[in-house]
Amino acid sequence: MSDEPKLTLFGKLFLLLVLGACATGAWWAFHRHSSVASGNAGETGVTANPPRISSGTTDATGGSATAATSTGSGVTGSVEIGVAYGTEKKRWLEWAAEEFPKTAAGRGIQVNLIPMGSIEAAQAITGGDKRIDAWTPAADLYTETFVREFELKHGRAPIAQQEQLALTPMVFVSWGERTQAFMGRYKEMTFKTVGEAIKASGGWGGIAQKPDWGFYKFAHTHPSQSNSGLMALLLMAYDFHDKTRGLTMADILDPKFQSWMVDLESSVVEFPNSTGNLMKDMVLKGPSSYDCVLVYESVAIDYLKNAEGRWGTLQVTYPRKNLWSNNPYYVLSTPWSDPRRQAAATELMKFLISEAAQKVALTHGFRPGNPAVPILFPESPFTSGQKFGLRVDLNGICESPKGEVIHNLLVGWNNNVRSHEH
Amino acid sequence: MVRHLDARAKCGAGHSLLDVMKSLLRFRFEVIVFLFLLLTPLRMAAQNRIDLVFAYGSEKEEWINEATAAFNRLGAKTAEGRVIRVQGLPMGSGECVDRIANGSLKANLVSPASALFIKLANAESRTRTGKDLVGDTENLVLSPVVIAVWKPMAEALGWGSRPVGWNEILALSRNPDGWGSLNAPQWGQFKLGHTHPEYSNSGLISILAETYAGAGKTSGLTLADLGRPEVEDFVRGIEGTIVHYGASTGFFGKKMFQQGPGYLSAAVLYENMIIEANSGKYALPFPVVAIYPKEGTFWSDHPVGVVDAEWNSPEQRRASKRYIQFLLAPEQQRRALAYGFRPGLVDIALASPLDKAHGVDPSEPKTTLEIPKPEVIRAVGQLWQKAKKHSRVVLVMDTSGSMNSGGRIENARKGAAQMLRLMKDEDTFSLLAFNTRVNWAMHSQPLAQGRATAEKTIATLWANGGTALYDAVLAAHEDLQKAPDTGKISAVVVLTDGLDTNSKTQLAELMKAIRFDSEKSNVRVFTIAYGEDANKAILQQIADATQAKSYTGTPENIESVFKDISTFF
Repeated sequence: MSDEPKLTLFGKLFLLLVLGACATGAWWAFHRHSSVASGNAGETGVTANPPRISSGTTDATGGSATAATSTGSGVTGSVEIGVAYGTEKKRWLEWAAEEFPKTAAGRGIQVNLIPMGSIEAAQAITGGDKRIDAWTPAADLYTETFVREFELKHGRAPIAQQEQLALTPMVFVSWGERTQAFMGRYKEMTFKTVGEAIKASGGWGGIAQKPDWGFYKFAHTHPSQSNSGLMALLLMAYDFHDKTRGLTMADILDPKFQSWMVDLESSVVEFPNSTGNLMKDMVLKGPSSYDCVLVYESVAIDYLKNAEGRWGTLQVTYPRKNLWSNNPYYVLSTPWSDPRRQAAATELMKFLISEAAQKVALTHGFRPGNPAVPILFPESPFTSGQKFGLRVDLNGICESPKGEVIHNLLVGWNNNVRSHEH
Repeated sequence: MVRHLDARAKCGAGHSLLDVMKSLLRFRFEVIVFLFLLLTPLRMAAQNRIDLVFAYGSEKEEWINEATAAFNRLGAKTAEGRVIRVQGLPMGSGECVDRIANGSLKANLVSPASALFIKLANAESRTRTGKDLVGDTENLVLSPVVIAVWKPMAEALGWGSRPVGWNEILALSRNPDGWGSLNAPQWGQFKLGHTHPEYSNSGLISILAETYAGAGKTSGLTLADLGRPEVEDFVRGIEGTIVHYGASTGFFGKKMFQQGPGYLSAAVLYENMIIEANSGKYALPFPVVAIYPKEGTFWSDHPVGVVDAEWNSPEQRRASKRYIQFLLAPEQQRRALAYGFRPGLVDIALASPLDKAHGVDPSEPKTTLEIPKPEVIRAVGQLWQKAKKHSRVVLVMDTSGSMNSGGRIENARKGAAQMLRLMKDEDTFSLLAFNTRVNWAMHSQPLAQGRATAEKTIATLWANGGTALYDAVLAAHEDLQKAPDTGKISAVVVLTDGLDTNSKTQLAELMKAIRFDSEKSNVRVFTIAYGEDANKAILQQIADATQAKSYTGTPENIESVFKDISTFF
């Protein structure tokens, strides 16, 4: 027998434990490193295939461009771009952010979607938010003001390229049964008749002998926070003055118009900050919360089917005067713009107006900006939605007024109606 | 290392402890390395986790428990590679936003039962810090606030044949014949329950709905409306039928469904609780149905949002959004439907158990009420303070010798003082201290005049002697019972730390004397088993016999126990 010490069973177990601990520690450290390294591609864990979209998660210093790979777009290397957008296009743009990198032009480009109201986005860009490479608001109503203020501050035009992605008008959406009752009393749905219904003595009891329906409840979004809210004010102005073009400062400042507008607006139930949230609330809470809302046609189409399974059908009615939301897409040209990110943002724009992407936009209720894509065909929501009141041809389309007219309309609203807000 | 291991191995074969210690010291470097290697994975695992605290209204506790467990099992990670772990904290809606606002609860995300609380908290936060406490919110689930009524009683009110609301309840409560006015004298008086509006969402919603109904409005409630005498009369009329208040909507529902129509004719609850009650959880004497007040109601819309506070890191905020996405996913939303909630996801159609077979109507409510401005909400609270049902309370305090140990008497005095602070000037207060004997330290004093005396009397209690518990409870109960006042909530609050040792009254005799009778005896006895030696079973029996609640108190928690009891008044 040797005098050298020998390992007992306990000693062997002990040694195994030590080795096991070392191996576990090494494995864990390696694993953690891998997770952190892949973290930029988006959070993982809930789904087997993590989404590539990370809304508003890039830092203020801008997205990162990492290791070199060649893309089919001529944009070399991986690149992240930030797109500020109005939430009415959320579902479509989420689809695009997922699909675009799978195309040859989009390879290596990660799209970060940043939800922002139109005024909020314009202020962020002018203020130097380096996350934003492209901006797609619901309409170009604020563009004139944005360009002017940007030029004043930075001494250059902020828009390098632009395209009109899709069109959508405004619609009144109301519950089928209540629409019939409303029409029975007022014959047509206009801002004037909606205003009368809001003020009707005894609410629905006075309108249609339905006292258990409560008061007539109408809503649109907040004009200072949401484009569709501003659209509502403009349509009221055009409707009141019965014109489709040449809306002037005098029209806006007309005391009769101001008085009528403030009276109607002071009875509006609520001014949510997003058109999507307003429509969703209507579907979730049913006629108890809103009898009628004014929203984009595309948003209404997206929710028509959801409502059927809850409270019955929704009915779409077009106002006498209407405005297109043209969903412009702006590739930005700022003093801090990175040429590679600018090129990537341009590639995304081309993808969005491609026939394939425009067809998907149509399924989300948008009228395609690309004239090669038809609207009416058997599977189109505009065909199946005719029973809900959807129609393709519209009359009374108004022109977009000048920036000063829009500005004064908002100031008047803020001064006279805002006190109603809670 | 091998030599070290061998030395340890040998110690089992007869080596002394000193030898082992010497060996360990000799190889201390190896031991340190070993321990480091062993503990590193554990330490790293802890560092690799990001914890989220989710404070939420307890109405959805069962669903959130299930969903959170599922989320934690998934091991979802942040972009930084850390595993997200969510800890849910169910509590009253008012409490959760208040505690986050004052920083005593450092939650990462919050979901009270109603947007009302977010609105109030944000308004106060803007005044204080210039920014909202909670940013954008989404509705997790929905459930309208309804009046839960036993089906035969609801039918007597007109339910099923015409719209029913607060006006019918007011007419019934004002009629001295009670249910007799609706050809059902056997049901006695109409008895309503809703929670305390300062602590609970459904209580706040109840008084807002009563005020709207009194003002004849569904929106635009103003401070001027609150000044109209008929509005205050309306609220006073409804509140006059209140059995007692309370902190938890769940407690009310459970009590109503367990105790039957003798305890409560109706209670303001959430729709999902009616579905739960009619799903076989309780042995109900009759089905319960939801009355959606014809004057309008509120949605309990369970908004969820991320807390905007310095303790909430950007990573935690992103992780919170990930968890919210999970709760809003179809699978979790379908489970919410199974629990009786209306899903917050529009893609899920309303289906069973949201149906008439479970006492609810998915086509209701027909109309809802507008959330008033924060200053109007606060003024409604003040109106309620004037119009509410006030209380007469007898505090029965054990001052036996055993209360001297472990700071019991000192902390009990603090707890009692806390309850006194929460009582209103319109309430009356009595203090009955007992040891071997029963002593009225203070008798039936309106607090408007007697508050200072009451505080002083409580502060000067000291402990000595035996425990005549049953005699004391009986004396307090008899005192309230001999001069019944249906216009007030009558309650005895008993605190004791030991067994009865000196009473002439037997337990059986006491139980017979205090047993609750909805028409004859409505004094409730709340009991606190204080410390280890108290007989919890007997105290629970006493509370149950009077349809009240029993608590377990310690010197550490006694103030919060008294605070909870005060929510019943």
